[in-house]
Amino acid sequence: MFDSINEFQVWLIYLLPLASCLLIAAQYVIPAPIRPNPRSLSTLSILLMAGSFLLALQTLGVVMNAAEPGQMVGFGEHRWLSIAAGDIHLDVPIGIRLDGLTAVMLVVVTAVALLVQFYSQGYMAGDPGYPRYYAFLSLFTTSMLGLVLADNMLMLFMHWELVGLCSYLLIGFWFANPARPGYTSPAAAAKKAFIVTRAGDVGFLIAILLIWTRTHTFNILEIQEIAEAHRIPDHIITLFALGVFAGAAGKSAQFPLHTWLPDAMEGPTPVSALIHAATMVAAGVYLVARLFPVYEASEQAMDVVAIIGAITALVAATMGLVMRDLKRVLAYSTISQLGYMMLALGVGGLVAGIFHLMNHAFFKAMLFLGSGSVNHGTNTFDMHKMGGLRRYMPITFATFVIGSLSLAGIPPLSGFWSKDEILVDAWYENKLLFAAALTVAFMTAFYMFRAVFLTFFGEYRGGEPGGGHGGASAHGDESHDAHAQPDGGAHAPAHHAMPHESPLVMWLPLAILAVPSILSGLVNAPFFHHPFGDFILQSVPETLRHEPHPFNWGIAISSSVLAVLGIAFAALLYAGGRVRVPLSLLARPFYVLFSHKYFLDELYERAIVGGILYQGVWRLAAWFDATVVDGAVNGVARFTRGASAIMRRAQTGSEQSYGLMLTGGAALMVLFLFITALR
Amino acid sequence: MNPDYSLLIPEYILAVWAALVVAVDVMMPKLRRDVPAYLAALGALAAGIASVLYIDVNKGFEAIPGVTIMHVDDYTTYMRVLLCGIAVFILLMSAQFVRMRLSHAGEYSAIVLVATLGGMLMVEGTELITSWIALELLSFCFYTLVSFARRELRSNEAGLKYMLLGAFSTALFLYGLSLIYGVTGTTTYDGIAAALSNRGEDLTLALVVGFVFIIAGLGFKVAAVPFHMYTPDAYQGAPLPITAMLSTTSKAAAFALFFRLFTTAFLPAHEEWKWMIALIAAVTMMWGNLVALQQTNLRRLFAYSSIGQVGFMLIAVAAATQDAGSSLLFHMAGYAVTNLAAFTIIVVFFNREGSDEIADLAGLAERQPFLALAMVTALFSLAGMPLFAGFFTKFMLFVSGWDAGLEWLSGVAVVASLISLYYYLMVIRQMYVIAPRVPGRFRTPALLWGVIAVLVVGVFFLGIWPAPLLDAADTAAAFLFRA
Repeated sequence: MFDSINEFQVWLIYLLPLASCLLIAAQYVIPAPIRPNPRSLSTLSILLMAGSFLLALQTLGVVMNAAEPGQMVGFGEHRWLSIAAGDIHLDVPIGIRLDGLTAVMLVVVTAVALLVQFYSQGYMAGDPGYPRYYAFLSLFTTSMLGLVLADNMLMLFMHWELVGLCSYLLIGFWFANPARPGYTSPAAAAKKAFIVTRAGDVGFLIAILLIWTRTHTFNILEIQEIAEAHRIPDHIITLFALGVFAGAAGKSAQFPLHTWLPDAMEGPTPVSALIHAATMVAAGVYLVARLFPVYEASEQAMDVVAIIGAITALVAATMGLVMRDLKRVLAYSTISQLGYMMLALGVGGLVAGIFHLMNHAFFKAMLFLGSGSVNHGTNTFDMHKMGGLRRYMPITFATFVIGSLSLAGIPPLSGFWSKDEILVDAWYENKLLFAAALTVAFMTAFYMFRAVFLTFFGEYRGGEPGGGHGGASAHGDESHDAHAQPDGGAHAPAHHAMPHESPLVMWLPLAILAVPSILSGLVNAPFFHHPFGDFILQSVPETLRHEPHPFNWGIAISSSVLAVLGIAFAALLYAGGRVRVPLSLLARPFYVLFSHKYFLDELYERAIVGGILYQGVWRLAAWFDATVVDGAVNGVARFTRGASAIMRRAQTGSEQSYGLMLTGGAALMVLFLFITALR
Repeated sequence: MNPDYSLLIPEYILAVWAALVVAVDVMMPKLRRDVPAYLAALGALAAGIASVLYIDVNKGFEAIPGVTIMHVDDYTTYMRVLLCGIAVFILLMSAQFVRMRLSHAGEYSAIVLVATLGGMLMVEGTELITSWIALELLSFCFYTLVSFARRELRSNEAGLKYMLLGAFSTALFLYGLSLIYGVTGTTTYDGIAAALSNRGEDLTLALVVGFVFIIAGLGFKVAAVPFHMYTPDAYQGAPLPITAMLSTTSKAAAFALFFRLFTTAFLPAHEEWKWMIALIAAVTMMWGNLVALQQTNLRRLFAYSSIGQVGFMLIAVAAATQDAGSSLLFHMAGYAVTNLAAFTIIVVFFNREGSDEIADLAGLAERQPFLALAMVTALFSLAGMPLFAGFFTKFMLFVSGWDAGLEWLSGVAVVASLISLYYYLMVIRQMYVIAPRVPGRFRTPALLWGVIAVLVVGVFFLGIWPAPLLDAADTAAAFLFRA
């Protein structure tokens, strides 16, 4: 079973969720009364996803069984398009690249996607868009799988864009809902995610164009080889690497393009789990890892990745300290951890970065699904309204604490091992980056346990009345009934007297995810001789396969102690059931700065988009449009009101002004021409 | 030797059919007013099928022995088929519109056919005067069509403006042609190319000024900045299907002429005009997309969005390589399919609601989910998302520009393309997020439903399996560079 795998089986990993999306879309053609019931559609989707997951496991097994575990399994390329024009031959192939890195990503993506789909049966029960939701979820997973499997930049980029498109569809799933007080509306959040990540993609696309003209190939392996052998000038490699990183920074929410991610919390919570654990945000980290040899060839690019990663980790962690909304805490924690992964890649820790990506995927998916479960019980994400839930929701509580411990980096949970590896890599590369990473470790422990204490300890503070998730608590205005989301099912009653544990479909995925959250760190534990590391390193050329740094007791102990200190500090402040902690005068300005997200949203939306672009550039363009075009039209209308002869209009200013534009344009070109000719 | 008249059969079909449509309309006054459009659509279809028969024909039409004024080759065939296809869809979307809002249904449909005929002649012309006359034929048809809603002030105004400025640009164009003739002593493309490659090192100023005027004249026809000012007015004033035709037929034919003229006749002087077109391309794409952000009227939005698209297509003209040619032809087809889909949707909406304001699209997703979904498809394609036609066609244009040494221009194009996403999302938001102003669902008429469905499938087909069309475009473009 694990001896070999044919190419079609690997393609099936990708095609099964795609089929599920298409089948669900196709059933909309059937007249409404005889459509299959939504439950059977989600079951179908889950079964196909499970098939995909099993195939991913088999693929992983095959890759592990290879002569050199993790070695690349080559499949041929297939021609998709080709243009032969003169001496230029543009071939656009599609093909699979399968090695250790791919196999691990396949398993992580399919596993999390499967559990999220399973969980959504409970969370999304009764939603009128239930089938549509599963179609989007499947398409989202497909796009991510295509991105992971791609052996060439173009196929990768197409799926990359599709991931962005699907995130738009899913974050804005409850598009008709108005904004919660103090937050953006789902529709605006979706648009923001789409636009901001696409701003990064400008860099990515330019990088692809650049590398294509220099190497005339899209194939990732060939590009790696060319970069490694320095067959193109170094500054081209650096430009390419930085362009790609711009795209990665957009998707992986790196500073300063991270602002979309917290707002993306307005989407359904299982979607948040999927986006922030295994897909979308992981895509950026994966991309940098996939092109790791290119980055190794450019020191400047590596430095940029490391520094941006460190800044992101720090900035996001500080914002996580002050959020009131449970999902927002998790959102900033995700950004911070992504910064950690980028930092790891930037200091040369390919294994550490991917190792952390994998561990993080499991425990963060669990934390998000846990927060969804909490919301299911209390109808709110506001931690000030929770409290004491450990008595009412024991399973959610237990799994949430496991996830938090793992994220905080308490040994021997999985998060400890990967975080420790990142710290070690940073230590040998740059002490300043190491210090930043260590600070983040402390803050992480603090904000996670602040959340744990506020949510699960003390007395229950009443939750939110009304039937719906916090994210969708105000389910559209009355005129929008067709879009409203009666979250129905188990929590339809208008008032919850007391919170309650979620149904089996929701807690089972939590329990399952608890297992890897505890154990997955062991696959690269030092006393097992880093099998995971060897596996991942097979995906890069031999020269780049560094020996892992030895386990450093000093770092391990100091980071653990800091994590425990962070937890203790959180316990001191919040365990008593206090909600508002009096801040000293000294801390106040920081609180304001953090809770306003460093005023970055204000900077982008008010100053840059609103101020400079809207007030300045667009206004200028609009002014031009209004005075010359509309003004002319209005002028003509006014002028002709009294005039009966239609030809008189030829005498108005409008045609003359247009004519002036025409001649002016031509004259301008002649002028340019003289300037260049006289030079 | 007589010229080979059999080369022009598709043109004859269109001309005769146009006369036939008018005759039928005159002789049967009781005929329902949508019938001439359906009849004319058959004619366009027939001409399209006749054009297909010319695949791999490679022959010149010599008016006088030795003077090839038209050339039928794969480039011609590709564009003929495309133009006839566009005409079919324009006529189908016109039928109900004409019946409800216009008079003289026969003339309307006939002129659409004649405009297509003019476009086809523009594509195959290989001699300056012939191309110019073809261009004028197309333009005059459009002046008439834009002002066809006789009782609407705005339509009249748009038509008049368009004609006056069109005449003006023609004068510029013609003056440019005369300068070129003065320098090279010939009007055939081949002759000009030969004369240009034999000229000495010195830069002939008359020649370059000639290029400037020709670019200005053609820039007007394709609506490139700063020669675009008539576009929003014409788009807004014209009867809606004619707006669709302006954005497809007119652009496709003008670009086909543009590209053939500059890559066959003027190619030896590439260095002299490359920067001019590249500059115009950059300004056009940024200007079109930035001003589009401010629009509240759907037609004006599409006017500026099409100006932005013109900027992208000009990349190919500036690059003037074979793969730029195939990208251009490919993009034209993808753009035509997408735009026709969008406009058919707008026509359906307009037929029912009489409005083309973006604000009135509010809640379309509830009132007519099919239209909203199809519109989303078209808009995503225009924005260049993968899976939709627009991704690949644009990507190929950017690649070909970059390959031809216009890296900066492709870079600008990528940024402009990002901006465009923003205003397309505004329309989507209007359809999905905002509550409808007028409640109540409505149905799409069956025929137009089918037309939209076909076009939407086309958008996806080109996005997922572009190979067949790209191969065709490549073969077509290869003919211009066969030497």
